[in-house]
Amino acid sequence: MNLSRRRFIEYCGVVAGAIGLTPGDLAGLNEALANPNAPEVIWMHGSSCTGCSVSLLNRISNAVGEPPTVVEVLTGAINLTHHQTLMSFAGESCGAVLEHAAKKGNYILVVEGGVPTAFNGHCCIAYSYKGQEVTFADAVAEMAQHAIAVVCVGTCSSFGGIPGAGSNPSGVVSVAAHTGASTINISGCPSNPDWVVWAIVQLLTGATVVLDNDSRPVALYQQTGTGGGGGGGSTVWEKIHQSCPRKTAYNTGNKAADFDETVGKCLVDLGCRGQWTNAKCDSCWNGIAEEANWCIGVNSPCIGCVEPDFPGTQSFFKPYISGS
Amino acid sequence: MPIITASIDPVTRIEGHLKVDVEIDTVDGVQQVVDAHCVGTLFRGFEKIMEGRDPRDAPNITSRICGVCPTSHGMAAALTLDNAFGVTPPTAGIMMRNLVHGACFLESDILHFYILSLLDYIKGPAMAPWQPGWDTGRRLDSATESRLVGSYLKAIEIRRKCHEMGAIYGGKLPHTPSFIAGGFTAVSTAQNKTDFQTLLTEIIAFIEETYIPDVELLGALYPDYYNIGKGYGNLMSYGVFQEGAGTLFAPGLVNDGSEAIQALDIGQVTEQVTHSWYDDATNDKHPSVGDTVPQHPKAEGYSWLKAPRYSGTNYECGPLARMRVNGDYAGGVSVMDRHMARSQEAFKIASAMQVWLDAVEVGAYGYSPAAVPTAEKSGVGLTEAPRGALGHWLTVKEEKVAAYQVVTPTCWNCSPRDTVGNRGPMEEALIGVPVKKADQPVEVLRLIHSFDPCLDCATHVMRPDRKGKVYIVDRTGVREADA
Repeated sequence: MNLSRRRFIEYCGVVAGAIGLTPGDLAGLNEALANPNAPEVIWMHGSSCTGCSVSLLNRISNAVGEPPTVVEVLTGAINLTHHQTLMSFAGESCGAVLEHAAKKGNYILVVEGGVPTAFNGHCCIAYSYKGQEVTFADAVAEMAQHAIAVVCVGTCSSFGGIPGAGSNPSGVVSVAAHTGASTINISGCPSNPDWVVWAIVQLLTGATVVLDNDSRPVALYQQTGTGGGGGGGSTVWEKIHQSCPRKTAYNTGNKAADFDETVGKCLVDLGCRGQWTNAKCDSCWNGIAEEANWCIGVNSPCIGCVEPDFPGTQSFFKPYISGS
Repeated sequence: MPIITASIDPVTRIEGHLKVDVEIDTVDGVQQVVDAHCVGTLFRGFEKIMEGRDPRDAPNITSRICGVCPTSHGMAAALTLDNAFGVTPPTAGIMMRNLVHGACFLESDILHFYILSLLDYIKGPAMAPWQPGWDTGRRLDSATESRLVGSYLKAIEIRRKCHEMGAIYGGKLPHTPSFIAGGFTAVSTAQNKTDFQTLLTEIIAFIEETYIPDVELLGALYPDYYNIGKGYGNLMSYGVFQEGAGTLFAPGLVNDGSEAIQALDIGQVTEQVTHSWYDDATNDKHPSVGDTVPQHPKAEGYSWLKAPRYSGTNYECGPLARMRVNGDYAGGVSVMDRHMARSQEAFKIASAMQVWLDAVEVGAYGYSPAAVPTAEKSGVGLTEAPRGALGHWLTVKEEKVAAYQVVTPTCWNCSPRDTVGNRGPMEEALIGVPVKKADQPVEVLRLIHSFDPCLDCATHVMRPDRKGKVYIVDRTGVREADA
């Protein structure tokens, strides 16, 4: 319990290679966390399934000995003052914490879940305060206005996601579309906990985060290399497909036609969207980086859950047609 | 003294958005809850989102209903597709489905007791987000408090390992892509089985040596909670974890005051929407012919949850119901019985997982070819989420989803009043809960958390017609608001 910021720094050192932190970042983080005025972190839930919070709790590094976990992140590194799944208090106190933070400023707003706008926002109530119910749509707009940065965790807050799919019965939009704020999008269904922690660390250290056209950190969502058919010998952006262990099978036409012959075969004919999906997904889910599993590792096609058009209208189990 | 209306919005440490209004009065010298309204405050409409899609997408889409019980929806959807497509998965598929679903049960049960419930009884770590907490007149000495905080922190690690275990066959959690029509995508290696075994052994040890003793300790310190929060006393389970022709937990019902197990007839389930924010034209329909037509505002409505009833009657579901229906738990119905049954159930499931793991054949596919039917078909998938009975209903037309309905356990437990005005099970269980401090009614939270609510579809409005003064729940004390 007596976890320390020092341990958090160690943790960052451990995962630095995987997520692109530099020694300079770590020095900056140390400095930032020593500062009593370090920003607090406010985590809010909109139209979500809580899956990104659960995913955060799955955080683990590959440290030797007793590894730093999410407990250590929470107790030693991030001053998380509002998170409805974790915090002790309930009711009016929640609204009080948020209103206090909005007045004071100096916080990082983390949003999980999309923003429902149907029924005047009344299909998602954030809290009641002083006898008034506050819709999530109103609450997130207010909180985003006073935040020093807004981090969207998961595809719902980043782009609308599954609640915004199909007929979009509750009128879900992304946080950026609703608030007009510039957001850092850590998309994924759920968001990868390494990437969420990485984004918060960047903000705490004042580092510059280079974003792609969908406001996602390039460092997390675009793999670089010279392969993948980009040609010209120059660095090209790559998709999941380019680092897929089944890429050779794809190149040789060894493609599975059904789920009773998937081992070692390419899954493209079963709907895999890896050729159109930007993320460093491989080897970073549920366990130690570089040793863990992922969707394709259990013969499941990539469903493109990090992309702005996820889930789209196409079947997950038919060959994906880009741009349709 | 006027009746106090205490409004808890949001109820924290649950999944999703829930508001609970209680009216508190003094009866026979004891201040207690005399009425309650449970208000689901989020609507997403997954049933509508499914319409027009490839039905095989159902497990991937519906598992996103809930990040705490995604495999329950994955399982329910896969069973629905098996049923509609007329396909039976091979043994390896059934076993791996059970193992990943079981891993998520253990994750959810441990998360529920420690992270979601225990802070109603202990102070928790001395920093945000665990502080400030409510003043609850806690009965624990500092040694006990320390022991339980230690268990709390250990539980965070163990619940993560439950997900790591499940991800061996599930790929990633939450939201595994591995539940599919006809079975399961993974093919086990010998190393997978070894890795799974290592984690399962550690988790079983935690359940035996820490989880169950901690629940027993809490029960010994709060024996009064074996007599608080009974509610209707009617229990229902759909059954879960296929084993051969049967299930580890049998389906059935137990009515209040009876030990007899009655057979479940799923045809008796209807959803009532008189007090829900849905069109009355959809009232009292069986889910196979039900619809989800939101209507807000609506004069009689106060929740986004529908009110499922069995033969018109209220039933509570969850671990206590499963254990009682299966003959595995002899206790009563109360706040503490729910925790006890949940912890004992975790051990039973973990022990069964040992058997299922042994039955997984290395290198065997868990899938039987499952094509989308060209003819119109319907299907139903009944299973259990950690928090209770879960059903999916599907109609396929022209190879697309024509209709999809989901009835979740929290709809059963946290439902609003039904058409004839009977309270939902949790509303009823709140009646009589003693409350020491109306401004910080931690006893109400204890009752709510014992049901492990998982609000995946719901909302509310203030009801301006309430009588009496409205008090607002705040850690700083009771303040009067405009009535």
